[in-house]
Amino acid sequence: MREKRREAVGLLLPGLVLLGVLFYLPQLLMLVVSLGRRTAYGGVEHALSLANYQRALDPLYLTILGRSVLLAVVTTLLCLAVGYPVAYWLARRAPKRWRNALLTLVILPFWTSFLVRMYAWIVLLRSEGVVNLALSGLGLPRADLLYNDFAVLLGQLYGELPFMIIPLYVSLEKLDPSLLEAAADLGADARRSFMQVVVPQTLPGIAAGCVLVFIPSLGAYLAPDLLGGGKTAYIGNLIQAQFAVARDMPFGAALSFVLSLTVLALFVVLRRPLAKARAL
Amino acid sequence: MRRGPSAGPGAVLGVVTALTYVFLYAPILVLVALSFNAGRLSGSWEGATLDWYWKAATNPAILASLRNSLLVGTAATLVATAAATAAALAFHRHRFGRQGLLEALLTIPTVAPEIVLAASLLLLFAALGLRLGFTTVILAHVAFTVSYAFVIVKARIAGFDHGLEEAATDLGAGPVRSFVMVTLPLIFPAVMAAALLVFALSIDDYVVTSFVAGVGSSTLPLQIYSMVKSGVSPEINAVSTMLLVATGLMLLAAFLIEQGRSLRTAALPAALGLGLLGAPFGLAGGPAPASRVLNLYIWSSYIAPETLAKFEARHGVKVNVDLYDSNEALLAKLSAGNAGYDVICPSDYSVEVLRLQDLLRLLDHSALPHLRNVDAAFLDRAYDPGNAHSVPYFWGTSGIAYSRKHVGEPPVSWGALFDPRYRGRILMLDDAREAIGAALKWRGHSQNTRDPRLLEAAREDLLRQKPLVRTYNSSNFEDILLSGDVWLAQAWNGQIAKAMEQDPDIGYVLPREGSTLFIDNLAIPVDARNVALAHAFIDFTLEAEIAAEICRTMKYSSPNRAAWPLLPAELRANSAVFPPADALGRLELIRDLGEATVVYDRLWTEIKSE
Repeated sequence: MREKRREAVGLLLPGLVLLGVLFYLPQLLMLVVSLGRRTAYGGVEHALSLANYQRALDPLYLTILGRSVLLAVVTTLLCLAVGYPVAYWLARRAPKRWRNALLTLVILPFWTSFLVRMYAWIVLLRSEGVVNLALSGLGLPRADLLYNDFAVLLGQLYGELPFMIIPLYVSLEKLDPSLLEAAADLGADARRSFMQVVVPQTLPGIAAGCVLVFIPSLGAYLAPDLLGGGKTAYIGNLIQAQFAVARDMPFGAALSFVLSLTVLALFVVLRRPLAKARAL
Repeated sequence: MRRGPSAGPGAVLGVVTALTYVFLYAPILVLVALSFNAGRLSGSWEGATLDWYWKAATNPAILASLRNSLLVGTAATLVATAAATAAALAFHRHRFGRQGLLEALLTIPTVAPEIVLAASLLLLFAALGLRLGFTTVILAHVAFTVSYAFVIVKARIAGFDHGLEEAATDLGAGPVRSFVMVTLPLIFPAVMAAALLVFALSIDDYVVTSFVAGVGSSTLPLQIYSMVKSGVSPEINAVSTMLLVATGLMLLAAFLIEQGRSLRTAALPAALGLGLLGAPFGLAGGPAPASRVLNLYIWSSYIAPETLAKFEARHGVKVNVDLYDSNEALLAKLSAGNAGYDVICPSDYSVEVLRLQDLLRLLDHSALPHLRNVDAAFLDRAYDPGNAHSVPYFWGTSGIAYSRKHVGEPPVSWGALFDPRYRGRILMLDDAREAIGAALKWRGHSQNTRDPRLLEAAREDLLRQKPLVRTYNSSNFEDILLSGDVWLAQAWNGQIAKAMEQDPDIGYVLPREGSTLFIDNLAIPVDARNVALAHAFIDFTLEAEIAAEICRTMKYSSPNRAAWPLLPAELRANSAVFPPADALGRLELIRDLGEATVVYDRLWTEIKSE
């Protein structure tokens, strides 16, 4: 028993030490910064004040936070709706010998710069772009595809989809076929066996995918800026601007902690219903 | 495989999957096509060429950054995936108290926005006195990828059957053997997927790397982002295409082996792929001995390799170039200390910020005899009285770029950008100081005002303008103008000068109300190690012939009066590079506003948030 315990500690240690030194310690430094003040030249004057948090709770910034949460929710649902069928096909229907290659092909585009791929989307979507030229070639009317909410969501879906497909795939791929057979033998139709067997069995994958899509979407700024035309502020732009333009690190740090606390609060609220769903 | 009762839904799944692959690869196809486009900008197709491949293969900076990206990506992938897999296994094998807490500790790091992680890591490395370089970049990449890998492997392990492993142990297999024979095959798909994703996150990371990279450790994304200021060049598309081809070949080799083909069949694609990936290691050249190296930290496309080669030959030294894409990145890195650069290129207001924080060394003017070549208009400005800390290198303006095809008369006033006739055809720079500055100038005020009433009026003008604006963009605005999506664009001159070469229908004017002047300067950080060589380099760039060569090759406006007569006539005549003399008098520098910076930031957020 003691040996097992030692083994568990040994397995956890590298990850925890890495994150302790490279994430939690720096975050602590940031927390200290967030209690300080911006100096006239963009440095940090240390203090113990909650003024930055007070400022972050201004309705202007809360509206932006709310809008970002909405964008992240919609992105997550969109990715789930597109990603689940794809992951299901890859994991259950694709010939087994092709699976690894097909999965790698999902990730391969992400080895080129996101910025460059966003520029490529502009070439596809702009008024004289590839899509519109194809539309008018087919005798269809041209569409306004760029610099609107549609373009933002398209960019978000594009940027986050693999982060949904991969965890779904790894949990669908291990799904035991005998469970499905048993369900069929017991007279369950396809829909019922999907809802009552497949979904509950792959909940860990769904949860992981949603976490990996939802959280980064909260901080999104490239797709809203480049494809959306930068006409709407999201929390990602706002935090970015504090560090990279206004050089107001204390306020940027405070905004970031407000964002992190929002996410943690959402998880605490959602934990119960999720656990309940898993128990069903 | 047992076919379900439903071939119908199966076909639907297949179609959705196929469409998803089309969606994922559509921009990749564009990128590959553009890598063969003879035109420099994506706005139009100018015929096919292989030039960009040749240019990329002979550009030492791009090759070195690609090499660095591959090194960092591989190291970070190995460390992060191993640590994450181990941690996930701990949850699989054991039940212990506080499991939820430990799991949360390993997952929470996905929550922090990248920029915050970046700044916090810079604080950490500064506190530890670590020199910025490969080590810090790899550590930082591990920091933001471990949690992703953990979440993925954990999703696989959750609810796993322990039976097989226990059976193996019961049958006398040791822990290592049972891991290799039983556990690893079970979790392998997840480990592989996690590794691929970690590599993707690492090789595309810009934000974190831009904060923690040091001398000689610039990665490909840093190269790409820094090129934005001068217009992303198709060389990047060529490099991306080669990277895709190389990984595609490796993938093919792995696939062939998986299919049970002979190793010999797989050897050709594997060798080709490895050869392509290895090329940057051979071509980029190794690091030079530190004693005779000048570390230059500068904007992209600010100095040509041949110019650097002249300096290297004259002094028997090596010049190491790292690139940045914003003054703020430069300020952050220099404020943290330990950056290790000998010469930097801050813009006017950043010189002031750096100077006031004692981060710049006093220049020895006796070592800069060619400073007399610089036109007096660019000397002794308020940001650096007497040029005690900095020497002008390039200068530029912001103004209105327009398409002659669509806008008959050249615009003369900032008012054109607020004109409802051009609704939906206007582009504004996505930059608080420039956009608010344009509104202020239009009404005849200084763009450095702190007067709340004037700022309120500017806010109202910009809010009224917002429905007319097609997009706010300060990265590839020249491309958007060139493609015809907008007709009028607030713009910086450098990128427009390059667009005018490709399309003579593009014009550039400085509005009659006046506009922004910026001056980029060479300066020496206070912790520079090679001070004498740094002075020699600065003076070298001030020599008339060298300044003319820099201006001719990079096509930014030169402040070097002695160089002007040596420039080709068509460059002298380009109104974006050398605006008419009467316009120069109406230009104003953007000043650092100290506390009021926050006011501008809030104003801009209000406009964007409306």
